[in-house]
Formats: sequence, C-alpha cells, structure tokens
Amino acid sequence: LIMKDNTLRLVSPEQALKELGLNEHQLRFTCRLQLQDPHSDTDTLSRVYTHLKSVLKGYTIQHLPDGTVMVESIVIKVNSSSEDPNNKVLLLSWSYQDEELGSFLSTLLRKGLPAGLC
Amino acid sequence: VEEPPEVLTPKPLLSGAVPLEHFLATLSKHGITEVKVEDTVDGHILHLQAEDTLIQLEEDGTHIVCDNNEPLRTVLRDLVLRFLQKL
Repeated sequence: LIMKDNTLRLVSPEQALKELGLNEHQLRFTCRLQLQDPHSDTDTLSRVYTHLKSVLKGYTIQHLPDGTVMVESIVIKVNSSSEDPNNKVLLLSWSYQDEELGSFLSTLLRKGLPAGLC
Repeated sequence: VEEPPEVLTPKPLLSGAVPLEHFLATLSKHGITEVKVEDTVDGHILHLQAEDTLIQLEEDGTHIVCDNNEPLRTVLRDLVLRFLQKL
C-alpha cells in the first residue's frame, strides 16, 4: 500500500519499490550436493523428481524438458563428474524469497535418495 | 528438518547494495580471511578459498555459491542481509 499525491493505492511490492525510487536487490543461493547414484544424469533427476513428489504435498513440482526440476521457483539440476559417473552433483538454486523451502530441500536431498526408488 | 514448511511465509523484498570493502571487513571479523577478489564488468567475485565458496557481488544482486554447508550458508546470508534494507 503506498500513498502518493494524497491518494492511497495498492500495488505490488516490486512496483512500490520502483515508485519509491529504490532498486531491488536479488539475493540468490546455489548449493552443490554430492550424491552417489549409479544412474544416468537424466535418470537421477527423474528419481529426484519422484522423491520430491512423494515428500512434498501441495507444492508445484515440475520436471522440465530442459533437464531441470522445479519446486515452486527452486531450480534443481544434476551433473556428474567425468572421472566417476556415479558421483553426481546436484545443484539447487533459490532466491531469498524462497529461503525456507530452499533450505528444507538442501537438507532433505543431502540425505540422499531412498532405496527402491524407481 | 523433517517436515516441509506448510506455509511459505513471504520474505521481505531487499533493496540497496553490498559495499565490497565493508563486506570484506565483516567477513574477516567472522574468521573468513582468505578471500580472493576478482573484478567483473558488473561487480566483483569473491572466492572464499578455505571454504571453497564463491560470492558474486553486483549492484542489484548477490549470489552465494557453496557446497551443501548449511551453517556456513546461513552465516554468509546473514552477513549479506546486514547491508541490505528489508521492505
């Protein structure tokens, strides 16, 4: 809610910042997680997707064709090391606005993927 | 953390910028002294060598890239937040 020229208006927070002449500062985090998983990168990402679908109810989880999984606006990617293809690196990236969920996901995925996951 | 957060509390928007020299001094006060600074077109990249962590500082954004070290990440997050206004 901003007051300007003696009128009150309801605007988005981003718009309010602009009208106040302030710049928005984006704070982002990217965490690298090591994961032992003897599958291809694509299959590992599918397993991450299946795992998150079973744990997170009521969240928007998408498996996108460009090789990313998104939980709300949190981006998850998988890379593997060239020396040891079983040694995967999960990259999790989120903004400060999604801090709680990002922090939860990094803690959850650090524990690895459950056995018996398809 | 066992259960996912049920309700996502919106975080405030951030405004302002992180001044390099003050930020380096703050890191140093917290025992982070091995920092290699590289200038970029839009700001600086800080390599925290002992922690193997990168912090990209720009006028309108900060990006913290680290291994999954939650205690370190939250310390760095809070140090960055000290320099920003929350709206």
